[in-house]
Amino acid sequence: MIFIAILIGCILGAIIGINAPMISYTYSSYLAIAIIAALDSVFGGITSVINKNFDLKIFITGFFGNAILSILLTILGQKLNVDIYLAAIVVFVGRMFTNLAIIRRYYVDKWSDKFKKLKQQEDKEEKNKQEKVAESE
Amino acid sequence: MTITIGIACFVLVLVMFMQFKIVNETDITSIENMRETELRTELANWKSRYDDTNAQYEEVQSTIEEYKKTKESNEETEKLVDDELATVNMNLGKTDVEGEGIIVTLRETDNEEISQINADDLLVIVNALKLAGAEAISINDERIINMTDIVNIDANTDNLFVRINGQRILAPYIIKAIGNQSYLESALVGKGGYVDELRTIGHDVTIEKKDKMTILKYDDEITTKYIQ
Repeated sequence: MIFIAILIGCILGAIIGINAPMISYTYSSYLAIAIIAALDSVFGGITSVINKNFDLKIFITGFFGNAILSILLTILGQKLNVDIYLAAIVVFVGRMFTNLAIIRRYYVDKWSDKFKKLKQQEDKEEKNKQEKVAESE
Repeated sequence: MTITIGIACFVLVLVMFMQFKIVNETDITSIENMRETELRTELANWKSRYDDTNAQYEEVQSTIEEYKKTKESNEETEKLVDDELATVNMNLGKTDVEGEGIIVTLRETDNEEISQINADDLLVIVNALKLAGAEAISINDERIINMTDIVNIDANTDNLFVRINGQRILAPYIIKAIGNQSYLESALVGKGGYVDELRTIGHDVTIEKKDKMTILKYDDEITTKYIQ
């Protein structure tokens, strides 16, 4: 269900994004850092859905707050002549990896559980068959 | 919940594609889009290049200055040589010349008993004019130069004519001479003057003083074959 929503969002975004007007190159560095922040928020959201502690308010404030904060930090960094956006990138990408690890583990566990159950069922059925054969004999 | 994440994805991908477009379509090498450090290195590059070019320019400038100097001295020499050439040509008779002088006109009489005016008479007159300081002489617009021949052709027959510079000259003979008018005139007239002699024989000789007249140049090439 959640994957369908992500897929539809991505496709719509791509279509509209391609046809969107150009933005000056000057703002591209701010936009890039905002993209990293938003990506981190989305992964965080997916993780929280998996962990079943998803909070809409936290997700939305995180999504926009992180993006705006990272843009402001980048502007500040340019004013101070310090590359603060590097710190933002390190934090966001690091978090993205942890979130991704959680998601991966969840699905790997899920699939391996399914596999185990299937095997157990097959074993049971085989046992039943053998028992039936024994009885009939 | 899922809708919110979908919308978040939508916004994220929208912004991402906008960014892709910017990065794709922007010419990073153009000056407007360069970062400060890039601009700084570029500026340094250009500055060093400018210095190099400036040095080169100065070098070339000094070379040009040198050439100019040489050219000026060359021009001076050229001018001198030109002046020299002009005077030599004038002296040689290769140019038209102007100045004060006299025009002597010799007309032959129809009287059969009087001998015709011939090259000898002309030679005597020319010599007299030269003695009197004539600077340029011409007979019937044939310029007298150093190699000029004044000779009689068919001297023993009746149809005698005079040849000057290889050209056949017919009467009346108009001798133009540039020089001091009174000197030239006095060389021809007066006691012992050749014009007087011709007059006494019976030829019609007139002398005309001119304040300004032109003597034409020698027309042919002056060729030398044996002078080494």
